[in-house]
Amino acid sequence: MTVVDARGLVKRYRTGGQTLEALKGIDFTLETGEFVSIMGPSGSGKTTLLNILGLLSTPTEGRVELDGRDVTDLGDSKRTRLRKQTIGFVFQHFYLLPTLTAVENVEVPRLFDRDPNRTARARDLLTRMELGDRLDHRPDELSGGQKQRVAIARSLINDPSILLADEPTGNLDRETGQQILTEFSRIADTEDVAIVAVTHDDLVNEYVDRTISLVDGLVGEAAPDA
Amino acid sequence: MLEPLQRRFPAVLMAWRNLTRTKMRSLLASLGIVIGVLAIASLGMFGVALQYSFSQNLGDIGNQVTVSPNRDAGVDNLTQRDIRGIRRAAGPDVTVAAVKRNAETVSYGRGENATELVEGLERPGAVYNTSEGRIPEPFQSGALVGSDIAEEHDLQPGSTITINGTSVRVRAVLASTDSFSVLDPGESVVVPASSVEQEGYQSVFIETESGTQANETATAIREELNSREERVRVNDLSSAVDRVNQQFQVINTVLVGIASISLLVAGISILNVMLMSTVERREEIGVLRAVGYQKRDVLKVMLTEAVLLGIVGGIVGVLLSFGAGLAINYEVVDDPTAVFRVTNGLYLIAAFGFGVVVSILSGLYPAWKAASEEPVEALRG
Repeated sequence: MTVVDARGLVKRYRTGGQTLEALKGIDFTLETGEFVSIMGPSGSGKTTLLNILGLLSTPTEGRVELDGRDVTDLGDSKRTRLRKQTIGFVFQHFYLLPTLTAVENVEVPRLFDRDPNRTARARDLLTRMELGDRLDHRPDELSGGQKQRVAIARSLINDPSILLADEPTGNLDRETGQQILTEFSRIADTEDVAIVAVTHDDLVNEYVDRTISLVDGLVGEAAPDA
Repeated sequence: MLEPLQRRFPAVLMAWRNLTRTKMRSLLASLGIVIGVLAIASLGMFGVALQYSFSQNLGDIGNQVTVSPNRDAGVDNLTQRDIRGIRRAAGPDVTVAAVKRNAETVSYGRGENATELVEGLERPGAVYNTSEGRIPEPFQSGALVGSDIAEEHDLQPGSTITINGTSVRVRAVLASTDSFSVLDPGESVVVPASSVEQEGYQSVFIETESGTQANETATAIREELNSREERVRVNDLSSAVDRVNQQFQVINTVLVGIASISLLVAGISILNVMLMSTVERREEIGVLRAVGYQKRDVLKVMLTEAVLLGIVGGIVGVLLSFGAGLAINYEVVDDPTAVFRVTNGLYLIAAFGFGVVVSILSGLYPAWKAASEEPVEALRG
């Protein structure tokens, strides 16, 4: 089943009188349970694409469909709600809240919901990430790999259909990176979550179903120099 | 302690943890509120104590009215008819004492003769208290002397003084009072009204229950006696006392106003702390937005931080102010428990409320700024 269907994505930024075209017309589809990587040099538009797919920003041109629904023109509040329901984020710098414990960090996306099972679910997710003995630790008491696993658990608390990862292995050593990528593969296969990872790291490509190369705002084969 | 509260209000959990992250900074921001609340509440309570002590000294002067003949209109004495009019105007619950005054030659035993203003009263018991002896009822003979005179000339009940050549027995010594009064019992020589050789009365002393009643009585007497010509002068001090009280209100308002400035400064310090905090936590706030926090959720967390600073500062401020109130009342009115007055409570509540409101206002702009940041921008670092 297609979870994301994006057509003709163009994104222009206006910076200091100049217009910068970060995406120049990109088509992108994502199927349930797929693990896809987006590779490309800095400035190729990877993060811009990820932000549009993650409903954090809107394309200047083109349409985005999520689970068959056109989400291109949704307002901030509706996008935020949809983001919460369907999309999980994993960042290079983990971005855990330093004042909260591992469990509380996993609970953060649902903290404002009245959900009695919230804590139990967070504990369960962390235990599945093999962090059962680190539940009440603060981020500064965790290693890089542990922090990233807490972040992954956090991205899964709302049962998303898509998980977006921005350089998920960027701050990890090779071995830890492999553990994280194995975890991603497992999630994609067993939980039917589609995963998109933006990365510089060739290691990622050993785990993914498909790799898309971006060069200068165009997809690999369409790009003139690729 | 906060655990159940945090379960119920997750914003409190996040806000509290954020504040404890930079403990010293939060403490200092709260300290501003503490000082502001303390300043407002204790200056307010100081004003109240001062006013209380003042009105204690003033005593019942505001409840007193004196009526005297208007000599400018050629009226030298008040007649029996005037007195009846006054009684009628004053009503049944009010003490009305008609006084005759005459300068008479008085000698106190072996001392020399002196000219004193002697008062003639029919029922001195209604307006005077005694420290020694008893005022006879009805008062038909003898004399009452003021405490100062009694002390000066060594008089007690039973002593004899001479008024206008006639020997008179002292029946009682009048008790002096701490507060001001139109009738001063210290220097008085009081005899039965019938023994004073005067036509009519030279003044009428009226005592009411309250300043308002005094005011009403004075107005009624003016209407009763002065409707055709200005026969009498009516003095009531209730309006003077009112004016003094109004002055105290003004002074108090100014004091509290000055104190409020310190609370405004505290508000600016909270604004500063919150702005720093939003800049520092830009990425965290971006993550919250990314994982599905609405703008209003971010606003809620940030405002809760400001409110917590205000509440903590306010509570400490109120506790310290209460201590200050005890000390102030001990100093000013010699009674620390005088702090338990409604007005003081109102000052404490108002200072606390003002502190919290200032905190919320100071938190609004930083919270709005944090909430309206685009998550993409914030996460770019």
